[in-house]
Amino acid sequence: MSAKVKTIERKGRTFLEHLYLVEVFKGMAVTFGHFFRNLMDNRRLYVRHYPEVKPEIPARWRGRHRLTTHEDGTVKCVACFMCQTNCPSNCIMIEAGERTDGRSEKLPVRFDIDLLECIYCGYCVEACPMDAIRMDTGIFSVTSYDRESMMIGLEDLLTTPAGCSEEEYQKGGC
Amino acid sequence: MVSTILFSAFAVLAVAGAAGLVLLRHPMNGAMSFIMTLIALAGLFALLSAKLIFAIQLIVYAGAIMSLILFIIMFLNIGEKDLPDESNRWFYFGGGAVVIAPLAIFLLKVVNKLPSCEATIVGDSFGSVKGVGMVLFTEWLLPFEIVSILLLVALVGAVVLAGKREGKL
Amino acid sequence: MSALDILLVILRIAFGAFVPLSFVAVLVWMERRGAGYFQDRSGPNRCNVLGFRAGGLIQNIADAVKLIFKEDIVPGHIKHKLYFILAPTLVFITAILSFAMVPFADTLVLNGKEYIMQAIPADLGILWFLAVVGFGVYGIILAGWSSHNKYGVLGGLRAAAQVISYEIPMGLALVSLLTIYSTVNLSEMARFQGQLLFGFIPMWGVFLQPLGVIIFIVAAFAETNRTPFDLAEGESEIVAGFHVEYSSMKFALFFMGEYVAMFVSSALIVTLYFGSYQIPWFSTETLVNHSKPVVFLLMLAMPVAAYFFNIWMKKNNRSQYERPNDPRVFEAQVYAAVIWSIVIFIEIIFLGFLIFSSGAGGARILVALLQIACFLFKTFLMCFVYIWVRWTLPRFRYDQLQRLGWQRLLPLALLNIFITSAVVVSLA
Repeated sequence: MSAKVKTIERKGRTFLEHLYLVEVFKGMAVTFGHFFRNLMDNRRLYVRHYPEVKPEIPARWRGRHRLTTHEDGTVKCVACFMCQTNCPSNCIMIEAGERTDGRSEKLPVRFDIDLLECIYCGYCVEACPMDAIRMDTGIFSVTSYDRESMMIGLEDLLTTPAGCSEEEYQKGGC
Repeated sequence: MVSTILFSAFAVLAVAGAAGLVLLRHPMNGAMSFIMTLIALAGLFALLSAKLIFAIQLIVYAGAIMSLILFIIMFLNIGEKDLPDESNRWFYFGGGAVVIAPLAIFLLKVVNKLPSCEATIVGDSFGSVKGVGMVLFTEWLLPFEIVSILLLVALVGAVVLAGKREGKL
Repeated sequence: MSALDILLVILRIAFGAFVPLSFVAVLVWMERRGAGYFQDRSGPNRCNVLGFRAGGLIQNIADAVKLIFKEDIVPGHIKHKLYFILAPTLVFITAILSFAMVPFADTLVLNGKEYIMQAIPADLGILWFLAVVGFGVYGIILAGWSSHNKYGVLGGLRAAAQVISYEIPMGLALVSLLTIYSTVNLSEMARFQGQLLFGFIPMWGVFLQPLGVIIFIVAAFAETNRTPFDLAEGESEIVAGFHVEYSSMKFALFFMGEYVAMFVSSALIVTLYFGSYQIPWFSTETLVNHSKPVVFLLMLAMPVAAYFFNIWMKKNNRSQYERPNDPRVFEAQVYAAVIWSIVIFIEIIFLGFLIFSSGAGGARILVALLQIACFLFKTFLMCFVYIWVRWTLPRFRYDQLQRLGWQRLLPLALLNIFITSAVVVSLA
């Protein structure tokens, strides 16, 4: 039961440090260095001029959702309700209908995501057995002037293009 | 002319503030009306071209002491239910007025008997910091020192009293 | 009273009232852009009128519009509405009034008459400042108390205790200064600082009172409730302190009052310790007697300064990303044109002065203008120090604050008085 005692040397006990003023001036010199450098040449600011210069979104980044399609353009989703069941914030609402193109039995006739509810956790993507829902659009700014347009439907989800190529997604995707 | 108007204004404010201090129920209202009195008094000093007294009245009384009192009122955070019951205070006010009235009439008569005197602005050095300082430190040096010793005693007493309580607890 | 008298009275009062107000805009801008540059970001620079951003100054107009059009709320739980409304006005008025006794130029002598260049030409000087600043505390106490809000009361208590306790070291630092200047009148202090120490050092308070300067500046920071002493509104602990319940222009009055107080205390620090309006090594008389060479030098210096300023502006005032037909380059060209036309205008005035001026009247007005510029420049630098400190130092803890005030600054100030009076007596 011998606890290991580690004595840590206390810093800031010398007379000069106790005076406090010297250290204050040192700190002020540091900040003034930054100020002066940026004032002389504001190209050196560590900022991205956002609305004009967009950030680079990596493939793993969870952005707004989209629904993927097969090569022939038919929707991959089979309306299995896995994503809706898994969703912790209950933002997905699926209505299934009969499928006639022979790929399976069901397809979604309604697929609504309430983006105001969504917490972008990515569980729907994890849960999907068909790789039908993905969050690889790279859309990070989901804004609107009214609540209604924050509810996106099947059409929007299907037409949103991917933000990165398929290989990139496979390599870095989730 | 202007000085007469100012004098009446300050006098009315001073009396109104003093009355407010006695009459208003909430301590904060009382303190604020007292501040009004102190400021009006400072204005009266300024009318008498006593600049130093004007400044000191504002700094010490209206500025420092009253802000301490407000600070304490705020610190105690007195609610409506903490105030003492003063249901028959109007009776006391009336009685007080009756007792004081003869004295007040006497004072008014005395003041009216005073020979009228025109208020003029005396030389620039009167009431200034230098003028007051010269008089204070030559003619009135001994009283000044005695008063400062009194203040020192009060200061030491405050420290001793505060320290004692801390030791017991 | 002649027309000149009335004009000068109006000018002085206007200066005393509007310069602090316009400095509010400059200080808010400086605070935000300065904070940005201290932290390697750019600060607000997007607001513009027809593409003109004025380096971010337009943001202030946007802020003002926002504050004016916000809803002015008096919360329903407030019992003492009078005090609630009185508090912000008190803070603002006392802040503006405390500038009234600060001289911004040497006494102007025109046609044999003397005009003291301060808003109220009385000789109370520093006493007036102390008296009026004491009233600013009431605004804070009343705001905190009448808000009937725990954060508000805590903030008000902190602010009041802090201001009251730091007034003591401040006053004691002033006492030792007064023994040197042997006057309370700020104009006379400024004139005193126009002399030279040992013939080559300007006799500024900062050289005569090195300890006093530090005490006074620290106390002034605490008096204005600025970082590192801004516990009154420590947002991480008590949200916003005494002004949590305020909105719209009532909040804006607190906000402006804070910045005006910052301006006034910088002006006072400059007046007391950094030579006031005095241009170092050039006393008023020297400047008046050699007005023509001074004007000639200024005529040479101005285009050079404008040239370098334009180079700096052209380098920095452009978009930092690929942009076809960058409008900010055009903006910078317009600014350059404006600056050059102002320079040319002033050069023409100076040329007229060189050719036509005779007698001391013109020279005296010129010197007064120069001194006003010098005073404002020094005050601007002091305000920059305020901002600089704010973005460098973390906030004190409350007990540290009180310990610094009572156990460090107070004995130091007393020691300073002792040393100063010993030296003054031995030299006299």
